[in-house]
Amino acid sequence: MPTFKLDDQDIPFEPGDTVLRAAHRAGVDVPHYCWHPGLSVAANCRMCLVELLPPPGRGALMLDVLRWDPALGEYVKERKPKLVPGCQQPVAEGMEVRSATSEHVTKARSAVQELLLLNHPVDCPICDQAGECRLQDYWLEHQAKSKRMRDEPVHKPKAVRFGPTIVYDAERCIICTRCVRFSAEVAKDPVLSVRERGNLNEIVVAPGRELDHGYTLMTEYVCPVGALTAVDFRFKARVWFLRSAAAVCQGCATGCNAWLDYDPRSHTVFRHRPRENAAVNRWWMCDEGMLDYRRVHEGRVLEAYVDGQPSELDPAVLEAAKRLRGVAPERMGVVLSAQCSNEDNFAMVELARRWIGTGNLYLAGRAGGAADGVLRHEDRNPNAAGARAVASTLDPRAPAELAADIESGKVTHVLALGAELGDPALAGCLETAEQLIALAAWQGPLVGAAGVVLPIASWAESEGTFVNAAGLAQRSEKAIGIQGDAHPAWRVVAAVGRGLGHAMNWRRLADVRRAMDNEAGAIVADAPALEAR
Amino acid sequence: MTRAPQEPRSSSAPLGPRKVVGAPVRRPERTAAVQSYVPTILEGLGLTMKHFFVNTKELALGQRNDPVLEAIDDGINTLSYPEQKRPYPERYRGVHRLTHRVDGSPRCVACLCCSTACPAQCIHIEPAEYPEGDARRGYERFPARFVIDEIRCVFCGFCVEACPCDAIRMDTGMHPAPYDSREQFIYEKDLLMSIPGRDGSFESDNPRHEPGDPTHPGVTRLKHH
Repeated sequence: MPTFKLDDQDIPFEPGDTVLRAAHRAGVDVPHYCWHPGLSVAANCRMCLVELLPPPGRGALMLDVLRWDPALGEYVKERKPKLVPGCQQPVAEGMEVRSATSEHVTKARSAVQELLLLNHPVDCPICDQAGECRLQDYWLEHQAKSKRMRDEPVHKPKAVRFGPTIVYDAERCIICTRCVRFSAEVAKDPVLSVRERGNLNEIVVAPGRELDHGYTLMTEYVCPVGALTAVDFRFKARVWFLRSAAAVCQGCATGCNAWLDYDPRSHTVFRHRPRENAAVNRWWMCDEGMLDYRRVHEGRVLEAYVDGQPSELDPAVLEAAKRLRGVAPERMGVVLSAQCSNEDNFAMVELARRWIGTGNLYLAGRAGGAADGVLRHEDRNPNAAGARAVASTLDPRAPAELAADIESGKVTHVLALGAELGDPALAGCLETAEQLIALAAWQGPLVGAAGVVLPIASWAESEGTFVNAAGLAQRSEKAIGIQGDAHPAWRVVAAVGRGLGHAMNWRRLADVRRAMDNEAGAIVADAPALEAR
Repeated sequence: MTRAPQEPRSSSAPLGPRKVVGAPVRRPERTAAVQSYVPTILEGLGLTMKHFFVNTKELALGQRNDPVLEAIDDGINTLSYPEQKRPYPERYRGVHRLTHRVDGSPRCVACLCCSTACPAQCIHIEPAEYPEGDARRGYERFPARFVIDEIRCVFCGFCVEACPCDAIRMDTGMHPAPYDSREQFIYEKDLLMSIPGRDGSFESDNPRHEPGDPTHPGVTRLKHH
C-alpha cells in the first residue's frame, strides 16, 4: 500500500483518500468539526488545516501577512505558507504533510478555535453537550486562552423546536452542516439548510416542514457541539455521570450496534448511541432504535404472578413446575422468543427437547413493520434468526400454528418465553389452553393470559448473543443491575427445569454457552459477514 | 521422594519464660519521700490553690477575660454553651443555602457542577426546563428538586467553589443542627432557600442579568448587527 508522511509517521492510504480519511483509518487524530467519515466533505470549519510541504525543487506557496509585534507596537510584514484543509486534500505517494509539528498549523488552529468561540454563549452549565463537546475539548487542546473580543457577541434564536425530537440553539451552532448533510445524504430527506451568511447564519428547517424523518436523533448525534439537543435526553443527565455498555439494539432484525448509556449509581438507562460497525449499521441508528432504550424501564414485568396475584419468585417457580408436572410431552407446547438472546432460547430448547421430550416448538415475537431501505428491517425482533439457529434440527413453528394446536386440543400446556405473539388476533385462543406459563420481561398478551408469570431480565440487565437478519451473531453487554425480581431467562428456565426434577445445573452464563456450542454448533462461526452498505 | 523429618519445636525449646537479652532498665530510686507521695500531693494542691486565688482575685476585680472573644488567653476560658457561643470566623463553612434572584426564584440553573465536585456525593438535583412562554426558556433551566444530605456532607466547600452561578453558598454561619432522626438532615430546596446569609440577605452580591431585562445579553438578538 502506498504511504505518505504525516508529521514523522508513515501513513498508508488507498487511492482517492484524503489526508484526514487516511489518518482516521490509521488512528491518527487530526482535529476536525465538519468532517465525518460517513458524510461528504464540506471543508468549512477549517479546524483540520495542515501544512503541505512542496515537492522537491519547488517553493511553497507563500502568503504575505501582517503580524502584530508587541515589542514594536505595530504590525510587521511576514510570510507564511498557505495551509490546506486536510479533509479535502487528496494524498499522493511520498507526500509530506505537517499537522501537529507545524508552528503555522498550531497557530491557525488556535485562531480557528477562537473564531468559532467568538459568538458562542458559553452556557456550558445548562448545555447537554457539556462533557462530550468538541468545542470544550479543542479549546483546551488547541486554544487554552481566554477570549479577547470585548464586544457584545451576536445573538441568535435559542431553543428552537425543529421537530418532535430535536431542539436547536443557533448561538451554540458552528454551522459545520453535518446535520444538513446527514439529512440529505443518509436520511434522504433534505429538510435542513443554512440561512444567511457569516456570523448571522443559522440552520433552518424547510418552510412548512418539521425535522421528522426516521433519523432525526442522528442529526443530534453527528452535531459536534451543543447546537442540536434531543428532546428525549434534554436536561435528563450529565454525560460524565454515565457509563456505556456495548449493546445491540433490540428494535429490529438489523441488530445495530449501540452504546447503552446508563447511570451506574441509580441503575437507570438514559440513551442509545450508535456504535460504529462497518458490517452492520456503520455510524448510524434510526430514531425508533435510539428511543428503544426506554423499554428497559417501561412496561416491564418486575415480579412474579400466580393467577394474577403478585407472588414471591421462588414459590412462583415451584408453582409453575407443579402445574407442568406429569403432562404428556406431546401435549406440551414450548414457545421461543425472537426478543430473547440465543442463550435464553437455548435454555428453553434444552428443557423442551432433552428434559421434557417434546418437539412442539413455536417462535413468537413482536409484530413486524415496514422496512425503510436504510437500516430498519421489517422484522421488529432482534433475534429471530438466533432462536431458529439454537433450535437446530427442530424447526420452530409460527404463532398461528400454536393457536391452531391449542384450538384442536393437540397442545394443552404451554411454556412460553416472551410476552408477544405478534398477531393480536391470536391472543384469544390462549384462554383455551389448560395451563400457560410465561417467562416475560415485558407486559403483553401472553402475560395477560398466563396462569404463572415469571419475570426475566431485559437485554440491558443481562449479557446475550443476538443474530441479526444477515446471520451475524453479536454479543450484547450487560449495563445495569437486575430490576425487581427479574433474573436472566436461562436461569429462570433452569429453575423451572429443576422444579420438574431435571438436572439443569447451569451456574453461570458460560455454562449455558458451553452447552450451546456443543448442541447447536458454534453459531458465531457459521454466520456470514454482512457487507458494508 | 523422602523429606528430612522436621524437628518438633517443643523438643528443642525448654518450657518456661525465655531468657531476656540485654541490659535491664534502671528503676528510679525509691526514697522515702517518693514512696510516701506526700511532697507530690502537696505540690499538686499548691498549683490548684494558686489558680483558685488568681481566678478569684480576677473575678472580684473584674479583670477576667471575655471567654467568648478572647478564647486563647490565660485564665478561665469556660463558657456556658449554648447561652454563650464563640463567633465563627468570617469564612466559616456552615450549612448551605441557595441564593435567590430578585424575583425570589433560585439562582441555580441545575448544571450539576456541585454534585459533580462533591466528594461525599450528598447533593441530588433534578433539572427541569422552564415552561413555554417563560422568558428564561431556552437560556436556562432550574432545579425541580435540590436536595443536600447534611449528615453525609463533609463541609469541604467544593460545591461553592464549583458553582458557576453563585447559587450555592455556605455563608450562613450556622453549623448543622443535631437532629434525632436521619430524615431531618435531608435538606430540600425550600428549606435551603429559606436560610439567609449571615448578613440576613437571601440574594448574593453578584448581580444577575435576567433574560428580558435590559442588561441581559440576549435581548437584542432580533436586532441586526
